[in-house]
Amino acid sequence: MTTDSMGVDDVVATEVPPGALPTTTYGPIVATTHGDAAMGERILDVRNFSVDYGWGENAVRAVDDVDVHLDRSTVLGIAGESGSGKSTLVYAITRLLRAPGVIRGGEARFNLGTDDEGEHIIDLVNASERELRGVRWSSISIVLQSALSALNPVVRVGSQFEQVLKSHRKDMSKDQRRSRAAALLAMVGLDEDRLDRYPHELSGGQRQRIMIALALTLDPQLVIMDEPTTALDVVTQREIIGELFELRAQLGFAMIFITHDLSLLTELADEIVVMYAGALVERASARELYEAPRHPYSLGLLNSFPPMHGERTELTGIPGSPPDLAHLPTGCSFHPRCPYAMARCTNETPPLVEIKGSDRSVACWLHVGDAGVAVPVELSRVATGTKKFDPATEVAR
Amino acid sequence: MSDATKGPVQLAARNLTRHFSVRTPGRLLNARRVVRAVDDVSLDLVAGEVVAVVGESGSGKSVLARMLARIVTPTSGDLVLQGTPIAIKSKRTLAYASQVQLVLQDPFASMNPVHRMSHNLLRPLRIHGASKADAPALAEAALRRVSLEPPSRFLESYPHELSGGQLQRVSIARALCIEPKVLLADEPISMLDVSVRLGVLNLLRGLCDDDRLAILYITHDIASARYIADSIIVMYAGQIVEQSRGTSLVDEPKHPYTQLLVASVPDPSDPTRDVPPTGEHAQIAVAEKGCRFNPRCPHVMDRCREEEPPAFVVGENHTSKCWLYADHEAAVEVALSTRRREGETATT
Ligand SMILES: Nc1ncnc2c1ncn2[C@@H]1O[C@H](COP(=O)(O)OP(=O)(O)OP(=O)(O)O)[C@@H](O)[C@H]1O
Ligand SMILES: Nc1ncnc2c1ncn2[C@@H]1O[C@H](COP(=O)(O)OP(=O)(O)OP(=O)(O)O)[C@@H](O)[C@H]1O
Ligand code: SF4
Ligand code: SF4
Ligand SMILES: [Mg+2]
Ligand SMILES: [Mg+2]
Repeated sequence: MTTDSMGVDDVVATEVPPGALPTTTYGPIVATTHGDAAMGERILDVRNFSVDYGWGENAVRAVDDVDVHLDRSTVLGIAGESGSGKSTLVYAITRLLRAPGVIRGGEARFNLGTDDEGEHIIDLVNASERELRGVRWSSISIVLQSALSALNPVVRVGSQFEQVLKSHRKDMSKDQRRSRAAALLAMVGLDEDRLDRYPHELSGGQRQRIMIALALTLDPQLVIMDEPTTALDVVTQREIIGELFELRAQLGFAMIFITHDLSLLTELADEIVVMYAGALVERASARELYEAPRHPYSLGLLNSFPPMHGERTELTGIPGSPPDLAHLPTGCSFHPRCPYAMARCTNETPPLVEIKGSDRSVACWLHVGDAGVAVPVELSRVATGTKKFDPATEVAR
Repeated sequence: MSDATKGPVQLAARNLTRHFSVRTPGRLLNARRVVRAVDDVSLDLVAGEVVAVVGESGSGKSVLARMLARIVTPTSGDLVLQGTPIAIKSKRTLAYASQVQLVLQDPFASMNPVHRMSHNLLRPLRIHGASKADAPALAEAALRRVSLEPPSRFLESYPHELSGGQLQRVSIARALCIEPKVLLADEPISMLDVSVRLGVLNLLRGLCDDDRLAILYITHDIASARYIADSIIVMYAGQIVEQSRGTSLVDEPKHPYTQLLVASVPDPSDPTRDVPPTGEHAQIAVAEKGCRFNPRCPHVMDRCREEEPPAFVVGENHTSKCWLYADHEAAVEVALSTRRREGETATT
């Protein structure tokens, strides 16, 4: 996100209790709801959401009928193949999607919080640019995948914070802005002297920390991180994740975390959704997905990590390559790569359905209880529900 | 993945050093400070071998790769390409570039955004002498080698129309299409999906085994380094702190920084594990004197703050730049205290 795209007039005070609606307004509030449509603890509710690139017969469906939701202060992980539509989904939800990307259907409701008048919910799909500006960065902020090149190369780091704060915190003096910027850098473990540097003088990790600090400038309720640590070394990743989760513990924001690294995602997410070719193929708690995947693609992903121990053997991961969205295979789009594919899979698309007696869902014909279809053991394991890893407290200091 | 046949050294670096002079904070009289981005690094890139470099963000991996590609001029040191010493202060020649190709970390930054992929791929081919008639077929073949099918779709795309992973595969294809002898890959898979990663890693390995390419593989994914590398180098604050042939460096890390690195790898099979303290941030905590890791090191001794350690032999083809290994007793103690996950099986 380049800093010039932040355009919020109202600024949230720094000490907002998690979940509460701050006294400063969020700009125009689109709907005040009670009763049925109330969201309660749910902060984001996305339903039947579809996104195309292009129009008419050239349209390519990049996000297909996706449902995702998350509760306040929780972490949703999005995993999936390169090109599966993860970035498109979050850009579309936050309405940062550029032409030829178009939202083709569905809804995305964001819960700003509750006060005397009830819940304040914004319909992100239909909100105007002006309404969106009231929400973006102050309520929802996003660290883009291309962040390594997103900082303006000819502007010193300090000036980038300066620009944001100058346009959103008109009450602040130059000295206050400088010390706020220094405090934000300190939050992500960087020394104040980085403010005087140009981005090209910093390493990737330093720039990524700066992007995270910029995203937290206006104290949002939902932070979306699109591959925030992918280009970093593991110790820095460990530090940044630790810091991020400490900040989350303090500030209470919810998070959508997109990464290819299922191991990392398993450690930090509460719930994980797996995307394939624009659609959700599996949704489960992080531990269940890791220990007991149900979808053959999820299993393939988990088997794609070279181990840190033992003999070196050649791994094949998932055979084939990601599908061309313009020419998706019929039926289950994973069937040409699926070792378990059956006749039915080549012409009928499996819906995402809840697995009976659980709060997880999968889109695969193996799991619909068809007579004569035996679920392979590797796709019917039972999770033991071991203790969850705590990314925040685990970093000893 | 055997260490058997050692091929000819394609590119040798000796004592490569690059210092940057940066303005210091405080802004007094334009005071400047020297950043020792890469200090006294020597390595051989051998035909048919992958050398992996892992290390902290800011440890100098990219500056090293850029010096090897001759995009950054070393402050001092030597480069020898296929036995011929290179005048390091002179301009990079086309001949050098055609032998030594660099694939960059950030695929979004490495492609010209206003041109289609066909332009991004055909331009280097034409510059390096492919005829106008041959170039498109070579570009398509290179795209197939990195599993981008159908190639025609990708040749027609603009960078912003591709996902990060697709774009990175195009940049690998671009480097491969002019048939270099040395491939410098700076975090080439960091933005790829895991399923595709394995394909690219196997591809790099294949380019080594079958086409006898010499590959420098820079990564922060130490598991992937362990998977494809013939030897592994760990850098910290511009210096090589540990190196080994084979996997011994990952299996039995000796340097305290390497031990931290190995323990930091996400491992959901062990959610209750202890990760050693990461210490202060390296950018703030690089010591000016003695061992550069000393401000963060849990084993720091008086000597570490005064004298820089040399590389000690800690095993077969395995060295560690740490005073702990100056005498045998201390070495044994650390090896015991940090051996982790003994007998544990791999996660998946
Ligand atoms: N502007 C565009 N025009 C046409 N197609 C596009 C455009 N942007 C993205 N796409 C296509 O949409 C699909 C989804 O892309 P997206 O960037 O959302 O994937 P992703 O899951 O984030 O992948 P990665 O993990 O590689 O970042 C891809 O096939 C991509 O080629
Ligand atoms: N042009 C420059 N001017 C000043 N300092 C620089 C310059 N280029 C790099 N540096 C410094 O040199 C050091 C090494 O940087 P380099 O980019 O090589 O790190 P890296 O190991 O590749 O890190 P990462 O894993 O984040 O990519 C860093 O401290 C960086 O700030
Ligand atoms: S529906 Fe069929 S092809 Fe698709 S994942 Fe399940 S078994 Fe494989
Ligand atoms: S030389 Fe000393 S400070 Fe440096 S890594 Fe070894 S024990 Fe730690
Ligand atoms: Mg993406
Ligand atoms: Mg780098």
